[in-house]
Amino acid sequence: MVRRSGCGWVLLLVSVLWLIPVSVSAQERLNAAVAANFIQAFTEISQAFERKTGVKVEATFASTGSLYGQIANGAPYDLFLSADEDRPARLNREGAGERPFVYARGRCVLWSARKDFCRARDWRTALQDEDVKRVAIANPETAPYGTAARTALVKTGLWEALKQKWVFAQNIAQAFQYASTSATAAGFCAYSSVMSDEGKKGCFYRLEEAPTIVQSACILKRTPHRASVEAFAAFLSSPEAEAIKAKYGYQ
Amino acid sequence: MDWQPFYVTLKLAVATTGLLIVLAAPLAYFLAYARFPGKSMIEALVNLPLALPPTVIGFYLVVVMGPKGAAGRVWEALTGGSLLFTFLGIVIASTLYSLPFAVQPLKAAFQRIDRRLMESAYILGLSRKATFLRVIIPNSVSGIAAAAILVFLHCMGAFGVLLMVGGSLPGETKVASIAIYEAVEAMKYREAGLMSLCFIPISYAFLLLVNRLNRGA
Repeated sequence: MVRRSGCGWVLLLVSVLWLIPVSVSAQERLNAAVAANFIQAFTEISQAFERKTGVKVEATFASTGSLYGQIANGAPYDLFLSADEDRPARLNREGAGERPFVYARGRCVLWSARKDFCRARDWRTALQDEDVKRVAIANPETAPYGTAARTALVKTGLWEALKQKWVFAQNIAQAFQYASTSATAAGFCAYSSVMSDEGKKGCFYRLEEAPTIVQSACILKRTPHRASVEAFAAFLSSPEAEAIKAKYGYQ
Repeated sequence: MDWQPFYVTLKLAVATTGLLIVLAAPLAYFLAYARFPGKSMIEALVNLPLALPPTVIGFYLVVVMGPKGAAGRVWEALTGGSLLFTFLGIVIASTLYSLPFAVQPLKAAFQRIDRRLMESAYILGLSRKATFLRVIIPNSVSGIAAAAILVFLHCMGAFGVLLMVGGSLPGETKVASIAIYEAVEAMKYREAGLMSLCFIPISYAFLLLVNRLNRGA
């Protein structure tokens, strides 16, 4: 009898918990799909936007490729911040996205957690060092920063020559994780990750041979919050947001 | 279509199954028969991979097997090579990840053995080790087969841990599940679809084969 009523209490508790809404406020929320390299800048920009308008912008961070896949399959985002120009353009052609606009231009760097890695004359020499056994690169097929790094490596003839050193990360954030935990000697990362607290502990080379990564965004047509999402899109190029982007090394 | 990822998946499943059965048998024997305070704590530890997200296991393995981690340093001192991002590295990862899938059926099989059989063996002068190898193991073949099936299939389907520790090196750590994921991300849906389609008959064929082996045993 006692046991049974104990069970009953648990059931009651579970059902009550189930009924409590996760958020009780009537605050408007936007859901953005954001390319992994833009994490830090986006977090600051969305906080600034929330302070100003009261609209909260929640972000899902992943590689551009997987976010595109989710959106193409109907994921309920309001906005897509890609790390390339191609995928927003594709969504626009396919009818899921509005006209794309450029929100940031990023640079690819070669970063290492070890300061002595940057003693070499340039990044090409640093990579050729025999002690540098593994170097992380975001999957060039899916991650635009990986594509840019590969372009620089192909241009300098190192892509094939040092083939056995490349370790492929799923996105730019994982490339940085491998390098910062010293799982690899270095990693091709976004300039923005160098600006993070963890990034400042290491050192980096700029990759002049890698093209600038033009990052485009688009509002998704299915959004039920059109006014707010348009306000946020405009805010992305406001002086306030530009200052935050500049702080994280975007041009 | 590229068959190499399937080859790596099968190689990984075979290597992990072999390694894990050998490693898990003594551990399961110990858990089945030993009595000591705190045994339940060891048992919970063995079962921990069941309750942990693959990402947690993967995250720690990257740290521990890396050049600065304990296991990575020992390995480098012994062999001069690195452990992370190698085939051996993913074998270790999936061995750890599949440990409870081997230990649980083995332990259950060992516990089912008639105690009188073991007592007779001791009376007839067999040592503990000889009893284990010549009485217990031959009498738990079906349990061993069950453990092997579970581990093998679990390895075929492994994804999260390998995504964290693999580094997706073609022919080395790029298994079929990762190759499919990457093909989807690269918008090569045809290739992803083909590979996914291949997975079903391959897995099914192995289940049939394993069932037949099990019946024969």
